[in-house]
Amino acid sequence: MMPGIGNTGLLRTTWLTLFSHYRRHPGQLAMLLLGLWVASALWSGVQAINASARDSYARAEALFSASLDSVTRRDNQPLSLEDYLALRRAGMPVSPLVEGELSLSGETTLRVIGIDPLTLPGESSLARQQSDASALRDWILPPYRARIAPEQAKAARDDPRLPPLEADPNLPPGTLVTDIGVAQRLLNVETLSRLVVAPGRALDLPPYLVRQLAAALASPGQLTDSFHLNLTAMGLLALIVGLFIVHAALGLALEQRLGMLRTLRALGVPGRTLVIALALELLAFGLLGAVLGIVSGVGLARLLLPDVAASLDALYDTDVASNLALPWYYWLGGLAVTLGGLFSAGLGMLWRASRLDILALGKAQAWRARLHRQLRLQVAVGAVLLGIAAWLGWRLGHQPAPQELALGFAMVAALLLGASLWLPSLLAGGLGLLSRRLHSRPHLQWALADLQLQLPRLQLPMMALLLALSANLGVGSMVGGFRLTFLDWLDQRLLADLYVRPSEVQHADVVAWLEGQDEVQVLLEARHAEAPLLNVEGQDTGRSLALFGITPAPVMRQSWPLLESATDREAAWQALAAGDAVFINEQLARRDGLAPGDTLRLRGPQGVVTPTIAAIYPDYGNPRGEAVLPASRLADQFAAPPGSLGVVLSPLPSRDVTRIQAALGERFGLSGDAVVDQRAVKHTATEVFERTFAITQALNALTLAVAGLALLTTLLAQAGARRAQLAPLWALGVSRRQLVGLQFGQLVSAAAGTALLAVPLGIGLAWALVSVINVAAFGWRLPLHVFPGQVAMTIVLAVVVAGLAALLPAWRLWRVPPRQLLQEFAAA
Amino acid sequence: MLQLINLTKTYPTPQGPLHVLDGIDLHLAPGESLALMGESGSGKSTLLHLAAGLDTPDRGDVLLEGQSIAALSEPRRAELRRQRLGLVFQQFHLVPSLSVADNLTLQARLAGREDVDWAQHLLARLGLAGLNDRYPEQLSGGQQQRLAIGRALAARPRLLLADEPTGNLDEAAADQVLDLLRELIEESGCALLLVTHSVRVAGPLDRCLHLQRGRLAEAGP
Ligand SMILES: Nc1ncnc2c1ncn2[C@@H]1O[C@H](COP(=O)(O)OP(=O)(O)OP(=O)(O)O)[C@@H](O)[C@H]1O
Ligand SMILES: [Mg+2]
Repeated sequence: MMPGIGNTGLLRTTWLTLFSHYRRHPGQLAMLLLGLWVASALWSGVQAINASARDSYARAEALFSASLDSVTRRDNQPLSLEDYLALRRAGMPVSPLVEGELSLSGETTLRVIGIDPLTLPGESSLARQQSDASALRDWILPPYRARIAPEQAKAARDDPRLPPLEADPNLPPGTLVTDIGVAQRLLNVETLSRLVVAPGRALDLPPYLVRQLAAALASPGQLTDSFHLNLTAMGLLALIVGLFIVHAALGLALEQRLGMLRTLRALGVPGRTLVIALALELLAFGLLGAVLGIVSGVGLARLLLPDVAASLDALYDTDVASNLALPWYYWLGGLAVTLGGLFSAGLGMLWRASRLDILALGKAQAWRARLHRQLRLQVAVGAVLLGIAAWLGWRLGHQPAPQELALGFAMVAALLLGASLWLPSLLAGGLGLLSRRLHSRPHLQWALADLQLQLPRLQLPMMALLLALSANLGVGSMVGGFRLTFLDWLDQRLLADLYVRPSEVQHADVVAWLEGQDEVQVLLEARHAEAPLLNVEGQDTGRSLALFGITPAPVMRQSWPLLESATDREAAWQALAAGDAVFINEQLARRDGLAPGDTLRLRGPQGVVTPTIAAIYPDYGNPRGEAVLPASRLADQFAAPPGSLGVVLSPLPSRDVTRIQAALGERFGLSGDAVVDQRAVKHTATEVFERTFAITQALNALTLAVAGLALLTTLLAQAGARRAQLAPLWALGVSRRQLVGLQFGQLVSAAAGTALLAVPLGIGLAWALVSVINVAAFGWRLPLHVFPGQVAMTIVLAVVVAGLAALLPAWRLWRVPPRQLLQEFAAA
Repeated sequence: MLQLINLTKTYPTPQGPLHVLDGIDLHLAPGESLALMGESGSGKSTLLHLAAGLDTPDRGDVLLEGQSIAALSEPRRAELRRQRLGLVFQQFHLVPSLSVADNLTLQARLAGREDVDWAQHLLARLGLAGLNDRYPEQLSGGQQQRLAIGRALAARPRLLLADEPTGNLDEAAADQVLDLLRELIEESGCALLLVTHSVRVAGPLDRCLHLQRGRLAEAGP
């Protein structure tokens, strides 16, 4: 039998004795659990969102987009059955597909996909499941079958239009798959949406058809990775701030229990038993905190997920289930992270407990020397981290590649951690300087000296406050800067007052009519096409490029923003309008290392086209590479069908957008999606933008609240000890009102000092976000904006948070009867 | 019962090594009571700590019931302390978060042999009955001292090591506590090694030794 472990009475009594501390100091227990709870709630909330979204992506990818090429008409019109049959007759292995939206009763909308199981290429998971002969018979013969995503299975069950349903967890949310005939009946169409073909199979398409490679449809998982990475980073920040609280609580509890630990050792508890008991205690707290945290994290995720789903849909056109789908490993993962974090926070405590010197029994610790040693160590480690951050910043500041995103996050982590390690020394230094100047004011001098003594206990919550404040300022600057840039850019890009999308047959008539209107100053014709991108040797790169045709009218030339051009703006536009030049977006330039003056190689219907790059333009929010050229040239070289028409009205007082809109409706039957007011487009774009950042800001605000709680709980946990320190002053004739005031002043000035450091740190963080993280993640760079209002707000927030945290302890001090202070004086 | 053989302890100090104990030999029979006297700083507490296995000597050995402490692993030494020794410290070292009753039975519970009747008896004899649910900070200095003695005796140790157990009491109270201690020791039959400054305290015990310049000297009562 192992001594010390076998004796359960020993372990149990030790554990109970250790725990009795928390029974007498429930505030410390509350602080510990609060830290754990918050850390694990925010972390697991974010992870729940990510896990749920990933599940949706995985299902979407398993369906088609990642695995099959598609064939559509160049003019984007639906395909007829004849188109399909002609290709089949020519021996091409294409399979028809019908897609459309079907509204069920209530809010539910289904994406209906009709397939032909007999011709569908075998690679798709959908096809595989149809291989069984009897299942195939059920599928293609009345009453037919349909498979549906489990989320909508219930809502769809009672719909009489639908064939017998089978829930299929592999389908993306909101999707119904059935036989093509059934789908056509449900959607009330006779045409086909597209044809699909296995990648790599050769097709000899007639010119009016175009093949889109599966690879060009970047998978939603890739596109949205950076979005989720940002969320994860916010979750990580919250986790760290929460663990700071835990660390502070554990440190406090250990310090107050050192005497008890030594007594237990002297009474015959082996060191190992003590460490085991402490570890068990940690484990119990950890389990409790993690379970509470995960449960509320899931609640938080439920709350945020609809917003996330909506913004992912708008940004990347991906369907994310707005109800949670959590795989089993999510729960284990949350538990593991919380427990891991707890143990890393508690490791120091366990280590100190295991090396406890029994004979220091009751002796005052040489804590001052230890504190100085610790501060020196912190400064040294902090310097190393800041050095690493500076080096990474210098390296990544120029041109971070997407694969360097992790390095970017490492830089942010090193910057934040390094700065927070420096915080206590900077505060101590500042206090020392101040107190030397306040020699003639004994109260203030005492308050400062006393604040210095409190620093070891306040340093962790102050670090948490520093992190939260600088994250707030950094993310705030980024979002603010983005808003400014994005709205500006939107104004420059959305020149026209009205966007009209006539069908191909109407196009010429609509153009003629619009040109005849007095109010119309200029028509901006746009076209879209896709072209495979070739490398220098002229071989296919497997990627295709979006081509955007514009009308280089003077209005456009004046306002369209450019980042870089070969010579100057005017020359670039001339080259675009007259020569064979193109502009490319920043994403493409960064991804392929292209600069003005370089050449692009594209495969067009009439052969390879090699335009020169005249300029690079910003293209915020677009995940893909894109090139811009005049619409007329796009029509000639790439057979682009007519697209939308931008109508710029003259700035006459008589201009009337609604009149034109109404006339287009009456004359050409254009309405709804076919005629869009520029204001509506801007409104939608802005809304998407705001929604995306609402989540970041919500997490940010939560983190700040957590830092405030950390401060409050630290203050509460040591309120008793604090009163014992204040009692002598009271006995010496300082009034309680003055004591409360001094306490308040101490905390607020410490917080203000922290805020002073948070300002440069926040600006550094903002720089890292816009110049490194953003470029690596999205492929475009934002200008750095610092808003004086936000800087001021940071300082105000710090003071308010500290003031709020100090309120309760101050009120309690105020309420203590003098008799109790006297007792505490005796105990001190 | 307790045997100290050539015990030597030196502390390094800025002024050079301080030879606190310099070859101490001592034998304590079962049930015997011994007073250890000496000036402040003469090394009494150091000796007691070594005897309890809380510290290790530079040279020499401590035998408890014939068992060499130096040869034991740390967990074994802890077990020995828990099972056979009772310790009363100069500063009591009660556990502030445990009630009086829980403090009293702490070591007994750690040793796995809580005896409710004996604990009740001790509480009554020590004049702590009725204070069961209080916490140490709610006791007077003398009450805390008595509670510390009670905690050491509750586990029925074979040897009680007490470091100035009456240091904080006035003469009358000290006499009372000491009488009680002797009675309880007789009742339980354990040996006692008691450190004190006071001749009054040392008087009634079986033997009395003086610690001087690191060595022990026999002293008449
Ligand atoms: N850890 C240590 N390091 C250096 N010197 C020490 C240490 N512990 C004790 N001493 C010194 O050893 C000597 C003996 O100390 P000890 O505590 O044993 O004295 P004592 O006889 O118990 O005194 P008192 O009657 O005042 O309690 C003292 O001079 C003390 O200063
Ligand atoms: Mg002593």
